[in-house]
Amino acid sequence: MEARLLLVRINSVLQFVLIFLTIIRSYVHASTTGQAGYVDKYITKTYFEKHDSLIDPEFDNFIANEIPLTLCKVLEDGNCVLPTLSNLHRSVIGEGSHRHLSSSIIFKFQPELKIKLVAHSCEVIMTERLPSGVFADPFELQHLVQRGVFSDAAVFGDTNLELPSFRSNRSVVEIHMSIGSKMLSRHHDKFEINCEVPLHARYPPLGLGFSRVEFGQPDLFMCCSLEVNGFKRSCAYLPTNNISDYKASPLAWEIPCGIREHAGVVSAITYCFALVSALLIVVLSFCYTDNKGSSKPKSL
Amino acid sequence: MPGISFQSLFIFSALFRVFLIIYGEWQDANMEVRYTDIDYFVFSDAATLMASGKSPYERSTYCYSPLIAFLLMPNSFLHQTWGKFLFSASDLLVGLLIHRILKLRGVPEKLCTYSTMVWLFNPFTFTIGTRGNCEPIICSMILWILMCLMNGHVLQAAFWYGLVVHMRIYPIIYALPIVLLLDPQHFQPGKKPVLVEWSSRALKPSSATSSSKTSITQYIWNFCINMITWRRVMFGIISASTFFFLTGLSFHLYGWDFLHEALLYHLTRTDPRHNFSIYFYHIYLHYEHEFSILEKLISFLPQFIVQLVLISRFALDLPFCLFLQTLAFVAFNKVITAQYFVWFFCLLPLILPWSNIKLVWKGLACIILWIGAQTNWLAWAYLLEFRGKNVFFQLWVASLLFLAANTFVIINTICSHLYSPLFQQLKQGGKLKQGYERPTAEPL
Repeated sequence: MEARLLLVRINSVLQFVLIFLTIIRSYVHASTTGQAGYVDKYITKTYFEKHDSLIDPEFDNFIANEIPLTLCKVLEDGNCVLPTLSNLHRSVIGEGSHRHLSSSIIFKFQPELKIKLVAHSCEVIMTERLPSGVFADPFELQHLVQRGVFSDAAVFGDTNLELPSFRSNRSVVEIHMSIGSKMLSRHHDKFEINCEVPLHARYPPLGLGFSRVEFGQPDLFMCCSLEVNGFKRSCAYLPTNNISDYKASPLAWEIPCGIREHAGVVSAITYCFALVSALLIVVLSFCYTDNKGSSKPKSL
Repeated sequence: MPGISFQSLFIFSALFRVFLIIYGEWQDANMEVRYTDIDYFVFSDAATLMASGKSPYERSTYCYSPLIAFLLMPNSFLHQTWGKFLFSASDLLVGLLIHRILKLRGVPEKLCTYSTMVWLFNPFTFTIGTRGNCEPIICSMILWILMCLMNGHVLQAAFWYGLVVHMRIYPIIYALPIVLLLDPQHFQPGKKPVLVEWSSRALKPSSATSSSKTSITQYIWNFCINMITWRRVMFGIISASTFFFLTGLSFHLYGWDFLHEALLYHLTRTDPRHNFSIYFYHIYLHYEHEFSILEKLISFLPQFIVQLVLISRFALDLPFCLFLQTLAFVAFNKVITAQYFVWFFCLLPLILPWSNIKLVWKGLACIILWIGAQTNWLAWAYLLEFRGKNVFFQLWVASLLFLAANTFVIINTICSHLYSPLFQQLKQGGKLKQGYERPTAEPL
């Protein structure tokens, strides 16, 4: 009888624990997805919580179907009149292994939107899917955030700074840029955002001299934090493929690579050189005598 | 040359380092290129994580003992420059210990001061601490170990040795020469070891006692026969216990992250990115496939042979042996970065008073060749990294020249050195076994 009572009590406790864990799990799930209809601090973070690596079709699907793009609904704007992309100019600036990916984005908007966008702390979020072969240093980006260059920045995916490209996976850089100050320009219907992301080249696979790395288009979002919704963030996707004068030619970076034909010669000479240097030291050490004490020592 | 007192020199060095730290803060805040080493931010971030109860290894590229992060915890609640002041204080302590060690060996004050200046005014060394690199702490511990041995404090030396090997693996190469030195002919019960004076370096062994002279070969033979001595066993037990206790505690707190980052990473590190080592291009060209056991052995062989021979020939002249071992270890290593140079720079002043090398021209030739080979490498590295030119082959040739320059320095250092064992040999009962007769003319 007592044993049965004990079993019943244990069962009740277990059920309570299960219900408790379910509640906790749903809370955690809700907070990682930023609660229904709202986006968490970083858009890309949610992708890497579900996927191990960056795969373009999966990321496209993630943007199209998994991000709650509810900005229009929240703004109570049935026509969803948001700023549109007028121009997007991209280039890779600099030389060597450390360069900047520069994006100059011009938006057009209806003048009556200006007050709303400034009031609701809206920002443009750019996610840059980096090709294999280049990486961004998260600590360098944080330094730029501290200096006020960006309002926020983060790197997701493979952030190992030391591995060559054939031993590493791709990563995504997410840059947040506040548009408040940009709106107060002399142009009443457009504003421009310039973004320079510092990037670094990994050692590429061996080849004939140079390895080519190509960049795709960034993904752009407009996100606002509205007071009426407790400052939760709502976003809208800004497509780049409807820009009339955007040139879709790929942006490329040529990175010097090791030459495969050097392998035999380099290995042989490296081993021999090390061995000869070692033998010189060994021979001299054995030839050294401790009769140096009879030599005239130097004076001050 | 006018006399410079060590006190004035020390105070000036300290003020100069304070100035550099303050200047570094200004440069970081106002210029694009920062004065502070990137490693300092790694240490600081790791220390901040530790202060908030997290693992320092959550900070990527933090590959050191958690003790370093622990020492820098005040960065987060005192001031961000706390670590730089700590490292610069260690840098000054190295200068102090160099001076003290040379004085213990009877080197005249003037020569002590000049030798110490080689450390205190070396641009590599005064920038490394003020930029926030932790190597001066390691250097000060190694010199402290040397001083403990010179004063006969073997157990204390063992504790610090275990600690320094936990913090940085490379001092493990000093184990064998230290153990060789702990010979009953140097250390006897109740007696401090007797140091060989600097002034006796010009002396010949007395002919009356030449029959009792013990060569290094005899030492090694004695070592093999009488390997197990109380001091050697205690040194081994205490240093190993210290090392395993600290490593075990760190593993208990931080798990496999600690083992991978702070230990295994350094033991197995093969970086294909360009560095001063002759192996970098060879590693890059073969990075797509694993090296065979034979290839790994062949790469390790020169290092192993050189270390073994240097120990067997020079162990009894411990400072000289440590200097040569460290220089050779760095030169033949698979990865060489500029911060490794500090490891032998702290030992260089300890051997200068015993060197016959003339600044004009042999000394200058060593300096010019070594700096020239480095500059040549840096020029090609600049073209590769900052101009994007494919100069891998030329950069690799430059690294061969750098090894050649290091070999030249090692050879000239050996040729010019007046061999002087650290300790005198003692008979049973503590009397000196070997006497010295003075020359008629005192050179100084």
